[in-house]
Amino acid sequence: MNPAASFTLCVVLAYAGMLGLCLGMDRHWKQLATGRLPAYAQRLCRPIGVLSLGLAGWAAGLVWPVGMAIVAWFGSISLAGFVLLMLMPYAPRLALWLPVASGMLLAVAASL
Amino acid sequence: MARAPSLTQSMSGVHTWVGLLLGWALFAIFLTGTLAVFDKEIDWWMAPELTNQDQGPVVAANVAQRWLQANHPTSSSWTIALPTERSPRLAVSVDGQRRGENTPLDAESGEPLAVRDTLGGAFFFHFHYTLHLPRLLGVWVVGFAAMAMLVALVSGIIIHKKIFKDFFTFRPAKGQRSWLDGHNASAVLLLPFHLMITYTGLAIFCVLYMPAAVDALYGGDRQALFREADPAAAAQTGRGFGRDAPKSQAPAAPLLALGQFVEQGEAYYGRGMVAAVSVSDPGQADARVTVRPVLGNRIELTKGQGLTYDGVSGALLHEPAPARASLLTQRVLAGLHFAQFGGYPMRWLYFLCGLVSCAMIGSGLVLYAVKKRKQARDDRFLAVVERLNVSVIAGLAVACLALLWSNRLLPAALEARASAELAAFFGVWLATLLHAMWRPPFHAWREQLLVAAVLALALPLLDFLSADTTDRVRLSIDSAAAMMGLVFGWTAWKVPALSAKGRSEPLLRVRPAGAAQ
Repeated sequence: MNPAASFTLCVVLAYAGMLGLCLGMDRHWKQLATGRLPAYAQRLCRPIGVLSLGLAGWAAGLVWPVGMAIVAWFGSISLAGFVLLMLMPYAPRLALWLPVASGMLLAVAASL
Repeated sequence: MARAPSLTQSMSGVHTWVGLLLGWALFAIFLTGTLAVFDKEIDWWMAPELTNQDQGPVVAANVAQRWLQANHPTSSSWTIALPTERSPRLAVSVDGQRRGENTPLDAESGEPLAVRDTLGGAFFFHFHYTLHLPRLLGVWVVGFAAMAMLVALVSGIIIHKKIFKDFFTFRPAKGQRSWLDGHNASAVLLLPFHLMITYTGLAIFCVLYMPAAVDALYGGDRQALFREADPAAAAQTGRGFGRDAPKSQAPAAPLLALGQFVEQGEAYYGRGMVAAVSVSDPGQADARVTVRPVLGNRIELTKGQGLTYDGVSGALLHEPAPARASLLTQRVLAGLHFAQFGGYPMRWLYFLCGLVSCAMIGSGLVLYAVKKRKQARDDRFLAVVERLNVSVIAGLAVACLALLWSNRLLPAALEARASAELAAFFGVWLATLLHAMWRPPFHAWREQLLVAAVLALALPLLDFLSADTTDRVRLSIDSAAAMMGLVFGWTAWKVPALSAKGRSEPLLRVRPAGAAQ
């Protein structure tokens, strides 16, 4: 993968990870998720989020050597969390679908 | 009998007062620091005479060498700043001239270029660590503010009641509640960045701020410390590049093409990683060529390092040795702050994190005013706070944009042009203060944010009208400014809702959280 794609992947994974942690909290689960989703889906959110945050660090490692990757990893997680924070009250649907949509875009871009 | 306050109460007091009194200085430091992440790019934007010719540092070094050979064959030293990814400027200086006295050259024809005299992005960088005060005083004031920032961060963590529960909580359009949410969440989510950038900022001048060890071990001679920490670099800089360096008496000998040294430098440091070439005693048998890297090929800040070659035989004489642990620690901390590593993605991460820091400090300042206003106390201190808030937060943004506008509106050949730009920056900033004193706070906020929005949104237009060519860096700055303009405009539009004095009906309704269900 080229560095630009890896960096995008890192940011998307960081966002997905923060979204996972966020949905693992009752308050935000009620705020974002639709009623149709089963309750066990919420219990899965936190582990998936943690995994996704870890993978974001791996993706940063594809772009930079270890030291720089750690800096970028922290920065991506923080900024992704801030973006999620701003999206939730103003565009809750977008907050939920952003990682799915960008994941699909990334898959298309990678397969081209 | 007054009881001694609890830890949380006393920390809350510390947080409020330290945050408020130093918050204005901190906002200015953080905003200019954030802009300084792109200092070279802003330099480029502010010198529209420079065009990107993309012909690489090797050719550029040879072009510069031809011009120096023809015009300054007898100088004791030459320094050539090479075009890089971040700057198209090829510039030469002779006999150890300081920065700013150099001659920009056209990288294709090798003829001197008339580039306007401008403050450039370097202004934001210097303002960031001196607040435009005399250097030493400024460094101390900024250091004091940085200490205050650390105090505010730590006390803020102590008084935050629900760090994890409120991790993602932001409830807009609820007056004081929203400001507190925004302040808390932007602080907590970016806490690693806030702590890192503040601590490393202090570490850059650690020898200045905490001189006791140097005083005790070296009798206060800071240069002695640096000489012992990095003897090779000291020996290298000690030679040949002073303003009054005596001309050597060695016999004449032709200098090899400088481009080949740049090639070797790129092989050592990586492609695009060579920033400058300097030559001592050009045209003589003891000529030395030093190839210097850009600052960003690793986290460690490698200022002043380089590869030294024999200019006549081309033999490598000296390469930088790895720094020892103590020096490496300091350099890595400084490097983390300078953010020169990792290329553009990393630069953008630092820039955006810096903007969130500004938002965090700004929301804290506003929060104080909102809280006091709700207590409906008609005190004069609150009036002062509100006016300073407007002119420091919105006013500084207007002033920074005014600096960019003055760069294009002032005639290119004006006498003392850079000072005129400086006057424009501080003049506009002062005007925003007067405006904030004259208008009621909400109007002042709204009007200044609108001015900032218009100036930022129209910046691309100004760029297209006043520069002959355009390129990727100028386009990026234009679009970033336009995005900032949208943010300013959006904020100005929301001011009535943001400033609702705890009214039950805000003037503009923002969709409440969770309304989608």
